[in-house]
Amino acid sequence: MVHPRRKSSLRRTQQRMAVLFILPALAVYALFVLYPLAMSLWGSFFLWKGLRMVEFAGLSNFSRLFVFPSGARLYGALWHNTAWFFGIMVFQNGIGLLFAWLLFLRDKGAAFFQSVFFFPAVLSPVIVGALWRLLLAPGGVAEWALNGLGLHQGSLTVLGNSYTALWMLIAVDAWNWMGLPVLIYTAGLRQISGQIFEAAKLDGAGDARMLLSIALPLLMPAIGTLTTLSFINTFNQFDIVYVMQGVQGNPSYSTDTLVTYFYRLAFGAEGAVGITDIGLALALGTMLFLILSIGTLMMLRFFDRRTVQL
Amino acid sequence: MSALVNSQRFAISPRLARLPGWTVLVVWTAAVLLPLYILVVSCFKTTAEIYDNRLGLPKSFAFDNFVNAWTRAHLGQNFVNSLIVTGGAVVLTIVVSAMAAYPLSRYRLGWNGIMLGLFLAGIMLPIRLASVELFTLMRNLDLLDSLTGLILVYSAIRIPFAVFIFANFMRVLPSELDEAARMDGAGEVRILFQIILPMVKPAVSIVAIFTAIAVWNDFFFPLIFIFDDRYKTVPLAISVFVGQFRTDWGLVFASLAISMAPILIMYCLLARQIREGVGAGGGMK
Repeated sequence: MVHPRRKSSLRRTQQRMAVLFILPALAVYALFVLYPLAMSLWGSFFLWKGLRMVEFAGLSNFSRLFVFPSGARLYGALWHNTAWFFGIMVFQNGIGLLFAWLLFLRDKGAAFFQSVFFFPAVLSPVIVGALWRLLLAPGGVAEWALNGLGLHQGSLTVLGNSYTALWMLIAVDAWNWMGLPVLIYTAGLRQISGQIFEAAKLDGAGDARMLLSIALPLLMPAIGTLTTLSFINTFNQFDIVYVMQGVQGNPSYSTDTLVTYFYRLAFGAEGAVGITDIGLALALGTMLFLILSIGTLMMLRFFDRRTVQL
Repeated sequence: MSALVNSQRFAISPRLARLPGWTVLVVWTAAVLLPLYILVVSCFKTTAEIYDNRLGLPKSFAFDNFVNAWTRAHLGQNFVNSLIVTGGAVVLTIVVSAMAAYPLSRYRLGWNGIMLGLFLAGIMLPIRLASVELFTLMRNLDLLDSLTGLILVYSAIRIPFAVFIFANFMRVLPSELDEAARMDGAGEVRILFQIILPMVKPAVSIVAIFTAIAVWNDFFFPLIFIFDDRYKTVPLAISVFVGQFRTDWGLVFASLAISMAPILIMYCLLARQIREGVGAGGGMK
């Protein structure tokens, strides 16, 4: 039996120790993450001269964001991010589900394929972007191979063409992260009890039927995780665009994203003379913050409700 | 007769039915490995040879491109910088996060939930959007063009995930563990570092692996905080090379190979832990 007085003194020591133990992590986290983020949100309501906050300006930064000359950039980038998200949902998370299902049906070799498929995901997007830029460049391997196979004639300019460039970047991003849905779906599939699949097989269900009618509804938590992660990642997309197409999202802004536009506004690369517009940058940041947090919360709720309990 | 047909069908068809599936898997394996194979063989070729001989092995395994990348393009210095930043951020993140997670998961403070929630919010926060204010802060603290500055920022970004992982692992340890040590007169610092932390080694390795990958690969923060060539990290240097040495393909391929070498080695050694960590948590980027 611990004496009550000793117990309360232990509590007091623990309170003191807890503060001391938490303080270093909290200080670093608060100073370099929470404080700058809060200041950025607050600053988007002010008028800026260079890097100096001048006076309260209400929503004027936000209204400037939607009109000329910023409007075209904003809507363009918003569309590219949205297309990117749906492209990734189909080409990465959709095809990834097929790969995971094929691996789930096979006992042999699953670990090997998973390791190969996931490998590009541990590489820096800078390396992935630089590699594919070299492969897809005019005179590169892709051009040589397509010409050799008779599928294409002459110089390959998919990255310089404003109709194809964005889709090439989405494909490179899907190549980069394909291993993620494969790993998350196979982990999800293995959690489903084998008896369910056995029963379905006895009832005569084929592989495709089992995937669509049985596995898919039970994979809702995995699908939710992937959709949310893909949403956050695509709306933060910057590295691949910067390395492959430059910070302007060439050609003629056709691969521009919200974060590359934010970077140009904040660090002076927008327009021919390189003007920084901190007020506009912070307003864009606040808007993106709202899109990301509201979108994430809505997705988490949506998938939470659709989780099937057995 | 019909029994024979049936048994034959059962003997052959399952294997045959598996064939399209295997084909799909092998095609994607090739799609992943072929670009990496081209990257590796191109490192040993001159630019002229790269144009002449796309897929074949190089004429000789000359290390000229590697030497040029390491010295002429100063990738050696960038490599050392990346190692310092990655090592520093991993150690700092593990130490402070384990310290914070210990009382939050094992003491009854009354405010554990709120504090954990504050840390967890950081997993989702889009920190890049704070980069303007972060830049001003770093300038005022004299942390621009500084590896220490990068270490602090990366640790701050990785702390939420690390606290989350450590708290989850520490919570399930039996409470007799620290109570017995406390009876023996051990201090809280000793209980954490000599008793609790060795018990949660899987958590330490998850945090170390994913922090190391994220920090080694990051390019955004060096891009805005580092201007002096002496302090550039590998991804930042690579992004410059791609434009600067665009005619010297062999050198660019070699520098890509150098920059992915540490991650490749780590991946070969730890593929299983990485697969399981991602499959379980999903929270990687």
